[in-house]
Amino acid sequence: MVEQQYILLRGREIENIHELDVYTDNGGYEGLKKAIGMDKGAVIDEVKASGLRGRGGAGFPTGVKWSFIPQNEPIKYVTVNADESETGTFKDREIMETNPHQLIEGSLICAYAIGAAAVYIYIRGEYLDVADVLEKAIDDATEAGFAGDNIMGSDFSCPVYVHLGAGAYICGEESALLNSLEGKLGQPRVRPPFPAQKGGGLYSEPTVVNNVETLANVPFIMTEGADAYKAIGTEQSAGTKIFCVSGNVKNPGNYELPFGTTFRELLYDFAGGPKDGREFKALLPSGGSGPIVPLNDEVLDCKMSYEHTGAIDTIIGSASLIVMDDTVDVTWVASKVTKFFHHESCGKCTPCREGTYWLDRVLDRIMAGTATEADINRIDNVAQNMQGLTLCALGEFAANPIIHTIKNFREDFLQHVDGGTELEAAGD
Amino acid sequence: MVTPVQESTKLVTINIDGTEYSVPEGGNLVDMAKWFAGNDIPVFCYHPKMEPVGMCRMCVVELGSVSRDRATGDVQYNEDGTPVIRWFPKLQTACTQTVTDGMYIKTDTEKVDAGRESVLEFLLTSHPLDCPICDKGGECPLQNLTMDHGNGVSRMYYEDKMHLDKHYPLGDLIWLDRERCIQCARCIRFQDEIVGDDVLAFHERGRRLQIITNSDPGFDTYFSGNTTDICPVGALTTGDFRFGARPWELTEVPSISPWDAAGENISLSTRIDRDFGGKTMIKRVMPRQNEHVNEIWISDKTRFGHHFTRSDNRLQSALVNGSERSWDDALATVADALKGSDGDVAAIAGGMASNEDAWELAQLMQGIGGERLGTWSPTHTGADLVAQVGLPNGSNLSNLGKGDAVLIIASDLEEEVPMWRLRLKQAQDRGAYLVVANSRLTKMEDFATDTWAIDNRDVEGSAVEYAPGQAVEAMQNLDDSIAKRLSEAENLVIVAGAEGLTLDGHRALVQLVANFLIDSGHAGKENSGLLVPLPGANAMGLHYLGYTPEATQDIMMNPPKVLITLDADVSDDPFASEWLSKVDTIINLTMFADDSLSGNVIQLPVQSFAERDGTFTNGERRVQRFYTAQGPMGEALPAWKAIANVRQILGQGRAKLSAAAVMLDITKNVEAFDGMRYKALGRVERQFPDVGGEDKYYGGTAYQNKGGVGLQIPLMGGAKKADVKAPVAVHSSSDEIVIVPTTRLYNRDAKFAPTLLVQPRVATPFAMLSPSDAENLGIQDGDSIEISFGDNSVVVRADVTNHVSSGAIYLPRQLSEDATPLVPTTGTVVKTSAAVAS
Amino acid sequence: MAVIGNEKYTKRIEKHLSKYPDKRSAVMPLLYIAQEEYGWVTEDALREVAELCEMDATQVKSIAGFYTMYRERPSGKHWVYVCTDLACALEGGDTLYENILEELGLDHHHDTTEDGVFSVEHVMCLGACDRAPMLQCNYRFSDEENGEYRDLRTEAGEIDMERVNKILDYWRGRERYE
Ligand SMILES: Cc1cc2nc3c(=O)[nH]c(=O)nc-3n(C[C@H](O)[C@H](O)[C@H](O)COP(=O)(O)O)c2cc1C
Ligand code: SF4
Ligand code: FES
Repeated sequence: MVEQQYILLRGREIENIHELDVYTDNGGYEGLKKAIGMDKGAVIDEVKASGLRGRGGAGFPTGVKWSFIPQNEPIKYVTVNADESETGTFKDREIMETNPHQLIEGSLICAYAIGAAAVYIYIRGEYLDVADVLEKAIDDATEAGFAGDNIMGSDFSCPVYVHLGAGAYICGEESALLNSLEGKLGQPRVRPPFPAQKGGGLYSEPTVVNNVETLANVPFIMTEGADAYKAIGTEQSAGTKIFCVSGNVKNPGNYELPFGTTFRELLYDFAGGPKDGREFKALLPSGGSGPIVPLNDEVLDCKMSYEHTGAIDTIIGSASLIVMDDTVDVTWVASKVTKFFHHESCGKCTPCREGTYWLDRVLDRIMAGTATEADINRIDNVAQNMQGLTLCALGEFAANPIIHTIKNFREDFLQHVDGGTELEAAGD
Repeated sequence: MVTPVQESTKLVTINIDGTEYSVPEGGNLVDMAKWFAGNDIPVFCYHPKMEPVGMCRMCVVELGSVSRDRATGDVQYNEDGTPVIRWFPKLQTACTQTVTDGMYIKTDTEKVDAGRESVLEFLLTSHPLDCPICDKGGECPLQNLTMDHGNGVSRMYYEDKMHLDKHYPLGDLIWLDRERCIQCARCIRFQDEIVGDDVLAFHERGRRLQIITNSDPGFDTYFSGNTTDICPVGALTTGDFRFGARPWELTEVPSISPWDAAGENISLSTRIDRDFGGKTMIKRVMPRQNEHVNEIWISDKTRFGHHFTRSDNRLQSALVNGSERSWDDALATVADALKGSDGDVAAIAGGMASNEDAWELAQLMQGIGGERLGTWSPTHTGADLVAQVGLPNGSNLSNLGKGDAVLIIASDLEEEVPMWRLRLKQAQDRGAYLVVANSRLTKMEDFATDTWAIDNRDVEGSAVEYAPGQAVEAMQNLDDSIAKRLSEAENLVIVAGAEGLTLDGHRALVQLVANFLIDSGHAGKENSGLLVPLPGANAMGLHYLGYTPEATQDIMMNPPKVLITLDADVSDDPFASEWLSKVDTIINLTMFADDSLSGNVIQLPVQSFAERDGTFTNGERRVQRFYTAQGPMGEALPAWKAIANVRQILGQGRAKLSAAAVMLDITKNVEAFDGMRYKALGRVERQFPDVGGEDKYYGGTAYQNKGGVGLQIPLMGGAKKADVKAPVAVHSSSDEIVIVPTTRLYNRDAKFAPTLLVQPRVATPFAMLSPSDAENLGIQDGDSIEISFGDNSVVVRADVTNHVSSGAIYLPRQLSEDATPLVPTTGTVVKTSAAVAS
Repeated sequence: MAVIGNEKYTKRIEKHLSKYPDKRSAVMPLLYIAQEEYGWVTEDALREVAELCEMDATQVKSIAGFYTMYRERPSGKHWVYVCTDLACALEGGDTLYENILEELGLDHHHDTTEDGVFSVEHVMCLGACDRAPMLQCNYRFSDEENGEYRDLRTEAGEIDMERVNKILDYWRGRERYE
């Protein structure tokens, strides 16, 4: 049986590792120390070689991202994406709450490698508690010389700051996050230029935006080496991953497992399987934004990795598994998730702003039993029209729950539309 | 011609729907497709004058590029020899693409059609169906593009539509219909990027995203009306035109703003109207594209200020000593007065006198031996230097940017020539170094000191503060580093105003500036030179026709027997009654009778710019035509015609029959106007960006320039430096204070007062003084104070502010009923009543 | 009432302004401070933040309106957030929300108790789905007496209103920011 392997959730093995001295007693800040003794390019090469990919959802190779930063620009930044607002995601919270120094260390290694002037941790506003933990850890680290001026006596200086969000899922999208941090509306930017390019990052300076979990892996890579890291996981998905399991299972929670673990192992061996007397029905493997799948044997036997989930028509994304058992009406799920995206659409681009509103209105009617089968086809088509037209991926995400719930669970929808009446369309 | 291609432009090849075009590198794809391929990619949020934002998604196209080998960089070819094209899997917004070599786009595929159709459907889901009662109906980009690209049926249920506020005031002038708004952010971006006053913003998010203002005062800039033109739907409307007429009933007549030296090109939207006795009247004023002058913007004063042309207070028939007379009678009286003058005649022409008017008047004067031709008001001078070291032909304020510099001295440009302020502010945004020198804080100084990074560009500026009246000294003693940056700039434009200066003082300042430009090598250089915010629409024209402010000064000192005033409100001078009392006969060609004139007074009704043909020469020496748009008021005649009739009576030859004929006469006799026949002035050219064409999405049908872009009078060569006579500064004795007159765009001038919509925003009469001066005078903010000068006085509210330097009281002209000083003078200030506690 | 010149906030304001190369970036933290002072983002709050960040008040209002955690109208002293998003709703989030409304005598989203003590909102995922159904008080996941807000259901799977009430009681007698 696979075992949980704690590269990130070390707080589960080492009590009080959130405290600086406990962290340093257990090898803390050794990775940073090693990095500072290395050539910047060598640090980036090591991260590249480790095969580490971004844990924010898109899985972009982290070392490659760092290497895009133009070294000759005088000012650069690191921004840590701690906005964690995807429905069903709570992994970054546990890292920051129980092992904050590892994130700080990882982000400072990145800062060193790209020559950043500062690290900003953008944390969602609802994580006020967690922000307090981070602030304390930063203060301690700064006082001890692990952050701020002349880190560990070197000529590398880099302050770490926390910036609290205020309730907007879209600020997890990296360019919206940068706007928000600059005090502008948290709406995505047109790209190119990308954050790593001059003109595209924070205050227009080249900027690395990485997820909390991504950066928390970096100290391990520095101390243990790229090969040790690459040895964990699968061919294209190196390392461990924190899988957030929520919904209708016996033991919801975070599980840190190597990539390549199957859905079955995770959901039965760790999450305890369905509640007594129930059966699994459906799974959202990547929160509200990824395609829903029926939770059948084919899915259960699929390996969880960036390269394997395509075979079952979904993605691993942020690995936020929301599990639904046989008591759940998937139409209701579609309606819940659509409400989320309607609520969170930033409004900047037409298809998402108008589409999420429209879908939500029709789903309300479907749930109320006043819609017809034509309405089901209509929202399916509207959702497809949104895809490929929006400015950022939120609009794509918003279309997923409609398209894939209807594709995989049409019978659930049909239960709602008997007896509905066709309404008059505006403008006919 | 304003085109996207300049000498130094590097060209690249792009392929649009299978055809190759050679276009300037770095151009915007939407603009390039339109200009070079005539391909109208539909847009809503994109506007060629603003940064792209990629919001509406209407402009989607298929985008690809020539595939190159990663290692060698060589183009890869298919078997048939055509290059391999790598296409993006998804549609891409054209508005956010800058063209690069080897770019391929397709705009005519099913995929593109489907994308456009979807965007339109999404936009219409929440758009109200009130086109039949919408002000924009008929010239609405959304309506037009729906006809072209929409699918015609709605799949959105009526009861699912969102309902929002339809009559939301964004200020006194602009109304917002929140249901019609399509969240393109053009209005927000206009205020932010073009005006530099970010008083509009989005509130909330998602489908509830809506335009707000929460500034104090609200949406209150001098350019707010432009947002209604660029709004691609009927969401923003002006209080002036709302429900005024249907766009298709309107006839557009090209014209020129009569208010200031910018010479903004406008289009008067006219209609035969019951409200004007069945005559043709102006229903609204719209910008007309002239990239040399105002691009596609106009100030709110230009837009809303047309009401005076139809004011009931207009003089509608001739008056001789207060009683109405026929034209024949009145002209005979005029002729007699002139005959009896023994050549002791002088003339003063003012702000709205056209070149034709001024020419006929000058000819009349020559015929009877009158030599003194003055301009009104005699506050500014230096037209002769603009003729020598102004911006040479071919210059364009839009060309200023990185590496260039702008100095604005002794001028409150926002209030004096708002269009120059708008365009110079943008020069700063493009990277020009802006220096603002004044003895008080002005809007432009705000930009010079409060510099911030605008969308990745560093904005630079400096402010120079000097004591009241010390502009000449300030120019002489410019900080070395500033002087160096100005001198070494690639291009340098200097705006030299007259605030705080007497006419002699202003003469010294402009000469000093001319010397500076000559020394630094900027004199005569394209895109460099002197601008003077000369009062009125035609001060440069008056200059070329022989009128000077110095002559006016002389006339005031030594009044003639007979004085002819042409659109010159001499009573604005508080000392007028004194010097006018020495004049036997006043012949006043005017739109508004001046009741305060006494003695022998003949007042002749003349037409406004809207009722006749004519030309103005703007502050950049561009001669521009305006056309007859509106029915005449009463018996008013064009001034040139009234004067020509007098000349005919006096035996100076047959009166010309048209303004065009008068201009022909001018071209033959005045070298500066050589070649400027009406036909040449009326010539149009293709302008970049192309917003005035036949497309269906830039909104505001009036942009198209059908009236001509005008012609610039060439600089007179051989500019030489001259010694500057130190001006005699206005000094105050111990019990007196210097009064510095200032200009306010919105004022109680007889011509602006009929614009009732804006009158609530005209400041109550006030004067500004520094806290220390106020303390010395025992005055507190808000007190009522009486300012006395000579035998005159005004009562105003004291505005105690550290925005002004000590040593003077700043008194705006034309705010109060009583005349205030035109030029700096001295006077006393006493408190009349204390501020009312609020 | 004021934020500018109020000693209570001077240090924090300075800290936030110094964190960024551009004052505008401090608008979010300073809005929180203003909200702490006024209870919601009042017109005065907007103007003070605008002054501190050297922004136009319109832009500050725009920011306040975009994010859900800034309150643009008056509300109760304590803010109760109940997650009714999918992961919680699968485990009784909607019921928890309705029970709390009922318990406090409220009838809609954003409603405030008559004594002005509690305002209740249903919110999207709070990132604590492992504890579903879950709630936050004043953006906190825990308090000193009740520990982490989890296990809000009884063994039988019913909403444990006794425990919920203990959480509400904890806050009832306190100030919001403690
Ligand atoms: C709508 C939307 C929401 C997102 N939310 C988050 C988030 O909460 N946390 C996160 O790390 N990445 C989020 N992302 C992904 C980020 O844009 C970005 O890809 C990521 O932070 C990059 O970091 P990584 O390379 O370490 O994964 C979101 C993306 C989109 C389009
Ligand atoms: S897709 Fe949605 S969230 Fe993304 S820019 Fe468009 S409106 Fe905003
Ligand atoms: S997105 Fe290109 S025009 Fe709006």
